[in-house]
Amino acid sequence: MIPVSLVLPIISTFPSNNFFCCMKKKIGVIGLGNPLRRDDGIGLVLLKYLQENKKKLSKTIEFIDGGTSGMNLLHLLGNYDIVLILDAVDFKGTPGEIKKFTVEQIKNQKIQFFLSTHEPDILTVFSLLKELDKAPTQLLIFGVQPKDISYRIGLSKEVHQVLPILQKKILKEIQSITES
Amino acid sequence: MDERSAVTMSKDFSVHVEHVTRVEGHGNIILDVKNGKIEKLQWNVVEAPRFFEAMLRGQHYNELRPITSRICGICSIGHSLASLKATEDALEVKITNQTAILRRLAIHAENMQSHILHIGYLVAPDLFGASSVFSMLEKHTDTVLKIVKLHRLANEMSDLICGRTIHPIRLIVGGFSLQPTEKQLIQLKKRLLEAQELTNELAPIILSVADNLPSFTRETEYIALTSDEEYSLYDGDIASTDTGKHPSYRDYKEIMQEYIVPHSTAKYAKHARDSYMVGALARFNINSCQLQPVAQDIASLFKLKAINSNPFMNTIAQLVEFSHSTQDSIYLIDTLVDQGIKQEKPVKPMKKAGRGVGIVEVPRGILVHDYTLNSQGYCTKANCIIPTNQNHANIQKDMEKLVPEIINRPEKEIELTLEMLVRAYDPCISCSTHYLDVSFK
Repeated sequence: MIPVSLVLPIISTFPSNNFFCCMKKKIGVIGLGNPLRRDDGIGLVLLKYLQENKKKLSKTIEFIDGGTSGMNLLHLLGNYDIVLILDAVDFKGTPGEIKKFTVEQIKNQKIQFFLSTHEPDILTVFSLLKELDKAPTQLLIFGVQPKDISYRIGLSKEVHQVLPILQKKILKEIQSITES
Repeated sequence: MDERSAVTMSKDFSVHVEHVTRVEGHGNIILDVKNGKIEKLQWNVVEAPRFFEAMLRGQHYNELRPITSRICGICSIGHSLASLKATEDALEVKITNQTAILRRLAIHAENMQSHILHIGYLVAPDLFGASSVFSMLEKHTDTVLKIVKLHRLANEMSDLICGRTIHPIRLIVGGFSLQPTEKQLIQLKKRLLEAQELTNELAPIILSVADNLPSFTRETEYIALTSDEEYSLYDGDIASTDTGKHPSYRDYKEIMQEYIVPHSTAKYAKHARDSYMVGALARFNINSCQLQPVAQDIASLFKLKAINSNPFMNTIAQLVEFSHSTQDSIYLIDTLVDQGIKQEKPVKPMKKAGRGVGIVEVPRGILVHDYTLNSQGYCTKANCIIPTNQNHANIQKDMEKLVPEIINRPEKEIELTLEMLVRAYDPCISCSTHYLDVSFK
């Protein structure tokens, strides 16, 4: 999960779907998180839903379970032109609320290791890729506000209740991004 | 009283390093010195308690491997293999020779992934006097690129054998859900040969800055798996540098004696002494004569000989093991190709219930999974002993010897040296599964 300090200010409007200008590129949808820590696994739950509904999505998309990859994400991210991250993000919102944002929209981004359970976090990995000139052209993060990230299998009641809405929303978003 | 002691006596300072950076988790170093006297010195593990063993209870045996593969993002192959070995031990599953070889390739892939991550991204900045791998990139671009290439190869090897870079999916009870093809293995062999060349180029570069590793020694006990057949990673008997081979792997608790300390939420462990060390240096100290020749050459380059009692040399032992893993993997691939790789179905269990113990060497040391399964195949009891918990006491004891030796140095240098000591152990605090189960009034 990405800590709150990295997602301020809260993004009030989603980036436009014109964000992706050239669509015949390799697209990776990467779910992150630990399913043993309740809502921290929401990224993987959403990824599974997208995989089950892949017929409704562009064939150019690859789905990756990134788990708690940390620095091993370095080479995964570098494989794609466009990367869409699904993850739990603490932005002090309502549990189950979803936000879409770019790395550039994150305030107080620090080159620091081990800020989260995906140590080091996706932002550090992305920064290193940029230094190596291997970064994907675009990286967009879909963050879901968790309620509970304690050590237990299964989403919290609050996030579970809105899961069908989240699933529809994320499917629509990714359809819109990759087919526009 | 000599001059150094006189300086020490006038010294008042504190070193409090919270959440040691470039370590896989969270740990604090606390050092308080007053009038030159150490008042407090603690390696303090503050990770929140974990409940993985409780999660395993009530799960069907087919679910144990996928769950435990999520305990840690760095050691997910090792946890998977320990889990499978425990399950197969309980249910009397006799895996095929091909599965045993492929699992050895899987464990090499993880060892290479983790070791190069630790050497390149975590320790190299200390050696090159950089604050992080980012600042290393400016002056040492070629070195970082070599590290990145080696890391990529290790990831690709994991992808091929395990079906994923981490959190493997092809490793299942009784075998593999999908085996690589001969063509894929031959391709992997070519990449491993390239990796050997790169490793041989990287070794002198690391050697050129190896003087920055503190020359500190403290005799301790080393514990690792050992085998007459090979440099043990996947299989073997538990062995100690103090007491030799232990007769029964099922009685691992006689060796790994866990205990509680007030300043840490993780359990500590000891055996013949107050503490012991596990990991690459422990394996090297017990099994170095079984390393592949290319790895022995790298050990010689660094004048690393068993028994080496400098914990900072753990990183060098990892580099030696990285080289060993490349060569041993080539040998294993040749064996598979010679005997012809088959798409085998997983072997079925002979028993429905029982207790099983699985022990493997993961990058940070010896890992134990111990399960009891009922007649329906559900787990009723689970115990996991992870390497990092076994090293905590040794880190503490090292600090207690190290600090008086460096106490006259500038505070920043003391702080960095203590951080380097912790990083040398490559602790994965976030995967410490064996925390205390407590209740409150």
